[in-house]
Amino acid sequence: MFETIKVILKENTRNIFKKIKETPVLYFLFTCMILFSVVVFVYAAYFMTVIDIGFDIRIEDVFFTVFFVFMSKTIADFHNHFVKSQPVSYSLATQVNQKRTISEIFLAIFLIQIFIWLSFSTLFLLIAASFRINIAYPLEYMFFTLGVISAVFVGGAISINFFSTKRYRLIPTLILLGFAFQSRTILFVVLTLPLAILHASWSIKNGMNSYLFSKRKERTKESSQVKIRNILKTQFYREIIVLWREKLLLSFIITSVVTGFFSGYFYVYGDEILIPEIIRKSVSGFLPAMFVFLGIYVVIIYTAVFPGLNLFLNEEKTMWIIRHLPVENDAIIYGKTSALTLCFLTSIPFIPYISIFMGLDRIVFLFWLLIFSYIAGVIVSVPLGVKYVGKKSDIMLLYSVAMLLFVIIGTMASIGTFIEENYNYAFLVFFIIILIEILILFISLKISSKILSLNNS
Amino acid sequence: MITVNNLTKSYGKITALNNVNFKFDNSHVIAIMGENGAGKTTLLKICTGILPFDHGEIIIDGYSIIKDSIKAREQIGYLPEMPDMYDRLTGREFLFYIGSLRKLNDAESKINEITKLIGIYDFLDYEIGSYSKGMKQKISMTSAIMHNPTNLLLDEPVYGLDPLTSKTIRDFIRNKKGTTVIATHSTQLVEQIADLVYILMRGRVIHFEDVSKLVSKYGSMEEAYFNIKD
Repeated sequence: MFETIKVILKENTRNIFKKIKETPVLYFLFTCMILFSVVVFVYAAYFMTVIDIGFDIRIEDVFFTVFFVFMSKTIADFHNHFVKSQPVSYSLATQVNQKRTISEIFLAIFLIQIFIWLSFSTLFLLIAASFRINIAYPLEYMFFTLGVISAVFVGGAISINFFSTKRYRLIPTLILLGFAFQSRTILFVVLTLPLAILHASWSIKNGMNSYLFSKRKERTKESSQVKIRNILKTQFYREIIVLWREKLLLSFIITSVVTGFFSGYFYVYGDEILIPEIIRKSVSGFLPAMFVFLGIYVVIIYTAVFPGLNLFLNEEKTMWIIRHLPVENDAIIYGKTSALTLCFLTSIPFIPYISIFMGLDRIVFLFWLLIFSYIAGVIVSVPLGVKYVGKKSDIMLLYSVAMLLFVIIGTMASIGTFIEENYNYAFLVFFIIILIEILILFISLKISSKILSLNNS
Repeated sequence: MITVNNLTKSYGKITALNNVNFKFDNSHVIAIMGENGAGKTTLLKICTGILPFDHGEIIIDGYSIIKDSIKAREQIGYLPEMPDMYDRLTGREFLFYIGSLRKLNDAESKINEITKLIGIYDFLDYEIGSYSKGMKQKISMTSAIMHNPTNLLLDEPVYGLDPLTSKTIRDFIRNKKGTTVIATHSTQLVEQIADLVYILMRGRVIHFEDVSKLVSKYGSMEEAYFNIKD
């Protein structure tokens, strides 16, 4: 009875304990960051709802953010635990009804998401209580919980129907989602929960269409591009092909454009939109600079840190290829890292889009900060990626790197502003800083190469 | 020629290989047999430089796998037991990738020749992610032999292959010059192509002998294996 659920939950629990055992420092750091983040949320909620100093963030915004996070996580989890999971074939091949097996997988994912929701919300309430902040909204809490349940069902239906030949089956869920986001009312999501359950149940009933779904992609047109190249170019092209086919380069460009546009918009109108009038005067001075910094930070995390870490994190099962070939570690590191130069180009659209609002006065500073931040992202992420080869989905590693870069880029943005305002030859100083950073990048890549050889000896 | 001296490898508290010694001479097909977990795959991975080891020395055609790893790896072709490759590359792109890293100028003709021989040529322009296990095995086999290495290390070389390809691979191994080491559970395969067999048990070599002598002594390789193991 419920064997599939038990296996999935047991495997997940053991994986977490194994990871904690392997990298205790990283997990301790992550726990601290979770606690810190929850404390920040508690205070943000306190200021927004209890004191009500006029922030224009509604409870619906928070609700839909939570909804979207749990929906996305369910889509990814269901894809991993069912759609592309080879071990599931063992359960599917038994005499147990296949619909029942798929339902059990869904139920296991449902339990995991509910556990996460209850853990975080309880932690939130405990911290609020310990600071003597009165957040007693039982009805809202119930609505949020029902919203999470709805998100899991919607996510399950999306995952099953998207990875199948019958994608039109997504339509009911998409219509539901469209209305939900259009109305932006919590009650709509809560009241349509039965519909979400109904569509998810029907999708699960037809779930075998999605199992091990793959399209056999023929790429005859590209075969003329295939040729023998030198080692650096070979590594470069391999990385770029994967980034291109996974549509990551396109998503990098879109992120840069959108982030540039909104950073610029908030640079000009941010204080009016987000900051209550009573505190506007005291914070309006640093706010535009903060939006520029945050914009660049977001772009760097997505276009530099994410691909930089994944140069090696993704290589768990394919490391045998590199390791058995007669190639120097330096060549592997330089070749793979060179692919990040193309990723850097995808971050450049940030500049013109933010400049629409900022004008061209600070374009040198902007370019300098983008280049500095990009190189800093590569300096930090490549050696850590090599160190933790195979931990592809380790969100904690990404989170720790992001926090580290937050401090580095934030500090350097302040120093850069100071230089820009106080030196006549700021351009020259910026240039020297980049040169020094390139030297550090070179050392970082050498360290990465050393780590790669240590992994191998 | 591959020489393994006093090799020890542990995974935590489990000793996978315990002070083992081998000398795999040229012009021989050597089979490594043993139960699951005996250390066969570990031995092959160490010889190719994929896995680190605790003590000992591996020499490939006079080059240490640690000190002269590049030179040593130039002499090796390797087929892993479960060949995971880059799913978003096509078979052709993967083989050219390997050819580029091995600096093969005649890669194209080699790839065409081998893939036609083992029956994967028509699928070279499909992404590897869509391949069956046998198709991946064929691509991986092509990558192992396309540079004509003097030392071939093959982990279950015919597992998952259709009968015709399996025969082609067996014939290729039989006729190849240099050293070929195969790790396998198949006594039939050992009898068909191996000159010498090493039997491993819990990380130690418990027996090694010419296959022909064993077969004449026990009637078949299967009988020989069971008798020696007991």
